Amino acid sequence: MPDFSNRLLARFAGQRFSYRWYSDIQLARQGIVLEQNKEPALSGGIQRICSRTLDHVPIDDLQEGDDIVTIARKAGIIDENTGRPLYLLLDRARNSGCRIIIADALDDEPYISSQLAPALEMTDQLVRGIELAKEAVGAESARIEIYKELGDSPVTIGENLGGVPVDRVGAGYPADNSLIQKHREEKASVFGACALIHLARAVDEKIAQTTVFVTVAGDGVTTSANLEVSIDKTAGELLRQFGLSDETSRVVIGGSMRGVTITDLDSTRVTAQTRGILAMREVFKDYNYTCIGCGKCDDVCPVGLSPYYLYKFVQAGRYSMLEDFDIDLCIGCGTCSYVCPAKLKIASEITRGKMELVQYMNAKKEKEQNEEVRA
Amino acid sequence: MNLIHSRPPHVRSHESNFSVMGDMVISLVPLYLMAYFFYGSRTLVLGAVSVITYTVLDFLCTFLSSRRVGILDLSPVVTGLLIPLMLPASIGFTPVIAADLFAIGVIKQPFGGLGQNIFNPAAGGVAFAVLTWSDSVFRYPVPIESLGNAAARLVSSPAASLRLGATPNYPFTDIFLGIYPGPMGGTGVLILLACFGYLVIRKTISWRPTAAFLGTAALAAFCFPRITTGRFQSVLYELTSGLLLFGAIFLINDPATSPKSQTTRTIYAAIAGVVAMIFRYLGAYEEGLVFAILLMNAFSLFIDMRYEKIRHRERRALYAEQQTETV
Repeated sequence: MPDFSNRLLARFAGQRFSYRWYSDIQLARQGIVLEQNKEPALSGGIQRICSRTLDHVPIDDLQEGDDIVTIARKAGIIDENTGRPLYLLLDRARNSGCRIIIADALDDEPYISSQLAPALEMTDQLVRGIELAKEAVGAESARIEIYKELGDSPVTIGENLGGVPVDRVGAGYPADNSLIQKHREEKASVFGACALIHLARAVDEKIAQTTVFVTVAGDGVTTSANLEVSIDKTAGELLRQFGLSDETSRVVIGGSMRGVTITDLDSTRVTAQTRGILAMREVFKDYNYTCIGCGKCDDVCPVGLSPYYLYKFVQAGRYSMLEDFDIDLCIGCGTCSYVCPAKLKIASEITRGKMELVQYMNAKKEKEQNEEVRA
Repeated sequence: MNLIHSRPPHVRSHESNFSVMGDMVISLVPLYLMAYFFYGSRTLVLGAVSVITYTVLDFLCTFLSSRRVGILDLSPVVTGLLIPLMLPASIGFTPVIAADLFAIGVIKQPFGGLGQNIFNPAAGGVAFAVLTWSDSVFRYPVPIESLGNAAARLVSSPAASLRLGATPNYPFTDIFLGIYPGPMGGTGVLILLACFGYLVIRKTISWRPTAAFLGTAALAAFCFPRITTGRFQSVLYELTSGLLLFGAIFLINDPATSPKSQTTRTIYAAIAGVVAMIFRYLGAYEEGLVFAILLMNAFSLFIDMRYEKIRHRERRALYAEQQTETV
């Protein structure tokens, strides 16, 4: 049975059609469709907010004959998806015999469009970046991946952007999870679209990465927008520029599904990994609901875990069961918390359980070692 | 501006306990209207008494056990509405109130209240009424004929004739509209399917467990007919008599007491269909659905654990290579 379902998965993972009908013996699921709320940021273009000192900074020690990977290293380009330096990713892709370059402009989280908007606005630079990456890695082809669900956005995207074919990923959130298998089979390497734009700039204009693309959105600001900001800007500075409301209760760095809240606006600067800054008014007041055991979290988990039982075991502190239920495979996407009708904090409880399990295992190991020494 | 910390995700779906339970209430109200049309206003009084008794007892027990008394999430209302619907319209107030008491005091609250109970409170309460008042629970008034008539004649249901091996003789349209003796909410096939459709469209329940339950029950009725007039007649009367259809929609999909994932819930429902038919064929009463549900509830955790073992193996096989690659 496992063999069969694995083969089934290898065949269908990441494909466009929904295979919910296959019951859920398949494990990697398509995810859920969220309200997108990407407007008006996505169609509004990109505003540039840069300090004078950090605008068009040339690369210091550039020498003639540097190859693309070296330039990427010297320009200090960071991949915005993984937070790793781009030159490491390029290097790894080159060594592993990568055949396809994928420019990731997915933006599957609500509100965020800080990869898609630059890809649409700066298509020339993105295409140039893809070509450079292809050259550096030795890949044969390339494509741009975008998210199919754009909500009510009027933006239309053609079959290709500047000659590079566009792949519309039809999966729900989290889209990247269902694509891992497909990418591995194709020997594809994924690079963030923004990192590729910075690569094109570094090679052609010889400037280092000093700016990042962020989305400022949420109901706590008067309008949402995509920005290109220099990395000395703080979250408060950007939010106030867009009319930060006094009724804002939470400011989130990152996406609305995985981001973290901050309380000190003026000492939090944007980083290369910052994809969005969201200001939210709504307070999730304590609903005082209890779990009714509906099992909706079990049905939506994209890795095929059972969040219901994981949550119960974490709350009861039964660590031995957590291992059997594969808590380590949780990717922390937050889908279970999103669908929960009781508004329980399932995802964060499971994350807590994960950390406590590690501590528990370490303590257990230490105890065993001590006993061995004593014996 | 007062900023607070909170854990991701920072957006939530609009669905809440209140909306889930509200959907259940909305789908149960048409059954009461149908019962009012068939048997008169006494049915509505029965429903109101049951809801009030159950809700008050539930709040009292939650308060006495010093647990958090949440905002009214309508879950006691749902069970309170369910219990009279599984009993005949002529039932006295004592059995209904006793069923409520049993459901709260023995089935639900001792295990920790909402979401923690092992057995379905509605099924448990009705099972108690069946065992205690077995002579009056299985005598039904005739629809429409008994309207407004307190001393109406009581007859046995098609389920009882099936038990004796006799074919009940009702026209097809009557069966479809529910004009035959039976439990208050269990007879109207059309209205029950409409309620089912509403719940499925609202995604409050899934259609699969219900289909699996009815499928295996129909298969059992087809393979081992109790009547001599044909297998298809057997399927028709077995499915429409008694509580089978009602239970397939409202009891099988009870969130707290059934297994948690879609697959296990469907497996559980399929087995429950067979068990319900076994109770009918071999049991002491003409309708053993509530006992079948209670029996299967005891196995739901077991089914989940077995399935989780299979999924554990599959997940490990699937993600083993993925993990080695990223490391």
